[in-house]
Amino acid sequence: MRRETLIFCYAMVAPALIFTILLGIYPMLASIRISFLEYDLLRVHTTGTPWVGFENYLRVFNDPKFLQTVVNTGIFTVLAVSGVISLGLLLSQVLNEDYRGRSVVRLLVCVPWFVPPVVASAIWMWLLNTDRSPINYLLMHWGLIDSNIRFLTDREAWGPFSVPMLSVTAVRIWNGLPFVVIFLLAGLQSIPRSLYEAAEMDGASILQKFRYVTLPLLGPVLGVLLMLLVMTGLGHFEINYIMTGGGPQNLTNTMAIYSYQQAFQNWRFDTAAAASGLILILTGIVCIYYIRGQLKKDVR
Amino acid sequence: MSVSGVEHVNGKAGRRLLSSSRRDALTRIAVGVITALILIYILVPVFWMLKSSFQSALEIRANPPIWFPGEPTLKAYEDMDRLIPVWRYLWNSVVVSLIASVIATLIATAAAYVLARFRFPFATLILTLILVTQLIPPITRVFPVYTFIQSLGLLNTYTGLTLAYIGFSLPFAVLLLRGYFETSCPPELEEAAMVDGCSHFSAFWRIILPVSLPGMAAVGIFTFLNAWNDFLWASLLLNQGSMKTIQVGIGDFASEGGGVQYVNLFMAACVVATVPAVIMFLFVQRWLVGGLTAGSVK
Amino acid sequence: MTSDTTRNRGKNRTVSTLMRGAALAGALAAGVGTAAAEPVKFWSQPYGDLLQWQSSLEKNIQAFTAETGIEVDLQIINWSSAFSNWLTVAQGGAAPDCADMFWLYSFSGIGGDKYGPKPINDHRSAWPELDKDFFPGSLTDVNWQGDFYGIPWRVDVRPILVSRTALDEAGLAAAPDNWDEIVAHAKALTKRDDNGNVSRWGYNFGMTNAPQALVPLYWQAGGSFMSDDGKTATIDNDEMRATLQWMHDMIWEHKVVNPDFMEPSYDPQADFVSGNLAMVGSVAPNWGSQLSSQYPELNGSWEMAIAPKGPKNRDTYSGAGYWGVLRGTDKEAECVKLIEFLSQNDQMQSLSEASSAVSPRRSVMASNYWADEPWKKVLSASLEYGRTSQHPSPVWSALVSPKPGSVIYDMMYDALVAQKNIDEVVSAAQVRMQVEMNRSSDN
Repeated sequence: MRRETLIFCYAMVAPALIFTILLGIYPMLASIRISFLEYDLLRVHTTGTPWVGFENYLRVFNDPKFLQTVVNTGIFTVLAVSGVISLGLLLSQVLNEDYRGRSVVRLLVCVPWFVPPVVASAIWMWLLNTDRSPINYLLMHWGLIDSNIRFLTDREAWGPFSVPMLSVTAVRIWNGLPFVVIFLLAGLQSIPRSLYEAAEMDGASILQKFRYVTLPLLGPVLGVLLMLLVMTGLGHFEINYIMTGGGPQNLTNTMAIYSYQQAFQNWRFDTAAAASGLILILTGIVCIYYIRGQLKKDVR
Repeated sequence: MSVSGVEHVNGKAGRRLLSSSRRDALTRIAVGVITALILIYILVPVFWMLKSSFQSALEIRANPPIWFPGEPTLKAYEDMDRLIPVWRYLWNSVVVSLIASVIATLIATAAAYVLARFRFPFATLILTLILVTQLIPPITRVFPVYTFIQSLGLLNTYTGLTLAYIGFSLPFAVLLLRGYFETSCPPELEEAAMVDGCSHFSAFWRIILPVSLPGMAAVGIFTFLNAWNDFLWASLLLNQGSMKTIQVGIGDFASEGGGVQYVNLFMAACVVATVPAVIMFLFVQRWLVGGLTAGSVK
Repeated sequence: MTSDTTRNRGKNRTVSTLMRGAALAGALAAGVGTAAAEPVKFWSQPYGDLLQWQSSLEKNIQAFTAETGIEVDLQIINWSSAFSNWLTVAQGGAAPDCADMFWLYSFSGIGGDKYGPKPINDHRSAWPELDKDFFPGSLTDVNWQGDFYGIPWRVDVRPILVSRTALDEAGLAAAPDNWDEIVAHAKALTKRDDNGNVSRWGYNFGMTNAPQALVPLYWQAGGSFMSDDGKTATIDNDEMRATLQWMHDMIWEHKVVNPDFMEPSYDPQADFVSGNLAMVGSVAPNWGSQLSSQYPELNGSWEMAIAPKGPKNRDTYSGAGYWGVLRGTDKEAECVKLIEFLSQNDQMQSLSEASSAVSPRRSVMASNYWADEPWKKVLSASLEYGRTSQHPSPVWSALVSPKPGSVIYDMMYDALVAQKNIDEVVSAAQVRMQVEMNRSSDN
């Protein structure tokens, strides 16, 4: 490779690399380091930050509450990701057709994207408040229920599942849907029309076309999307935290919230770093597949 | 609405088959009904926010709920500025998000272009590093990033927050744009330019950038919305005086009575906080999907 | 404690907690030197109506500058970030010269002798009549481990709030005056519809912050949370068990308290103003001014009364905010002058009126402003029973954090909501509390 070309390549990639290292790689390493120190806000000015090895991790694993958050995090991620992808698949198909007013429908579908999570949580909390919920009112009015559904506070649990968990999942799906729809729509539009026409010649129904043309061709897009969603889902924090604070009875608590509580309520940055280190391991497993998939494209 | 819409499925081919397949008619009706239900689910909260901003606080809290304002009023919009400087915060947000998304898109385009086109030493490592940052949950970075921005003396400056947003948007932007270059920008383009004696850079600048605008626009809206919707980082890195972003302002608002007694003003501020993002979206939506298609998301 | 007084207006404290926490991340960052700017840097939180408060404070500060020639740079610190701000300051972050502060015991415990609030013992003589002019309870909040830190200027003292309409409906003359009356009143005030759904709850223990509601009840049962030296937890006792049992029965036996009262989505103020809740056991003083200014249509339909007496006493949740000096300042003398100026009668009167915050200064509370409404007189009278909510351990504010994960919150949740065995819950909480308290002692 010519020297000039080399210089050009490095110059072009340098800004992105610098940003990545300073705001991505370095903070990650710094946080991992903290997870091996004693870093207690109440002691730090007397005892400093001595090295304690795996002590923080042991403490975290000995907390049954944390183990529940691991289970919850997994379930939340599976529920939210599968929900958002199925709704997204359907909506993106609808938006991929030609009809009048399509751009209006597309805008409407995208609206939750413009509502920041903080605002979305506040509005949903209004809508899901047990006593004031307009949803409860309507259900009651239509005679579908005879006592208010306690969307965010019902403590009855079926295994790890509960009403609050489903409510919070619904809000997370709501919030993440537009991104998924747009992403899938882009994928759909890269599928050549001729394939559908060929399928129609063979007398395929809509469902068959979806099953035998769309899904296989959408595969790679779905794969990338799935991994992106799982990674952000595992680390998700805002909506759960604002709506339920992890309650009731730890039912909607996730690893990210646990980490946050340790740092900012209990002033234990070390425990917090250990908990978030474990999230990192989980996302790391997903990430390996993701990066392998991305790199494979280089050699194809 | 969508029921009638789905009837035009697949252009000509769809219409030809419409009469022949009863099965498909059933499918269409089912899809239409489900779509309508999903749209209700999507729009109810938004409608609730919108209608509340035209009501009095008392009417919003009424039980049974009042779905349509009895006497629509703009009072909330007139008054909201008294509690927090909504317009100023909105301007701050626009500036920070816009600058961050433009710079991030440019940087990502440059990196994505060479990563897609050239094989040079460490290219794979660099790509891996950039993609790895995608896996780091925000909660892991909070404290180190704060310390880093503070050590640069950039706490409570537009620059600090903008830099952070650029950094956080890059992995996804690089991912998308690399796909875009690989599939929708034929290498012949710049090869022709190079033959004409252009340097790599001027080929990139004069030939590649203009044709990759749709992809950049799509990435731009992603990064803009990321920055626009962010609360955590803004509340951490820029939380003083009149420089706050609108999301942080809304957070303040919530704690200054937005939840109950000023709920109408709060809802008005929320509506205002979503409008610029909508405008931005309308502006680029024709490139959004097009820019992502052609395999860029694979 | 006091930080919650003002913040507790909206149910949306979760959002502010988010911000607090976020900025707190910087608490440990390398100290940023105090800029050698000319004017005295003074920070204050906002109180009451934001605009009214700001203009009143600015006016007073201008008068001070006119009198002394000392320039003051005023910055308003929003409540949403106040907590993190002060924690950052106590950890060596950027600090003003002097400020309106709260939680002296915690912040000075965290800051040690390096950062945070600075004792001003040498200037104590500037207020020769302090003990006579101020309510004694408020002064305990500005003295810590034998040092004097500043002048209290507002007090958070918590009476009971009742719906007059609901009382009339049930034929009750006055607010309850002891625990037994609370039970009887609450039963009479709770209303159910035909399906058995509650349309009006009789009682809630306090505001959104559940641990703050437990604190005075435990006192009233005769308990205290820790030894005077702040080293030993003292909650595993009959007083705590009695308190939790009483609260438990209110929820599950008498069924007069909403069992969701500890969830973040529960909002007693919203329920009270919409008529779904008849009594709130312990409310911050600013509820009075909020109700009268924001809900004029409700005037006459609510009233306040001195907190009901428990089995042992009538201790009422209280705490003072104060003006003090920060470590690291080179303008201590100017700061003391400013505080001295602001703590005079006229200044405190105008600030008390602008914020509608209860004043620790006797003369202000004797003024017409604090006598023109019945609820104001109740606040005034409640000062007699005020007991400081600060505790001599820096970990206290973490212990009573109103979120799952804090010792007191978890104890309440297990005993009151999950209905676990109270004896076991209390002794487990005692062990946890002691572990947490050991963190801050030097061992």
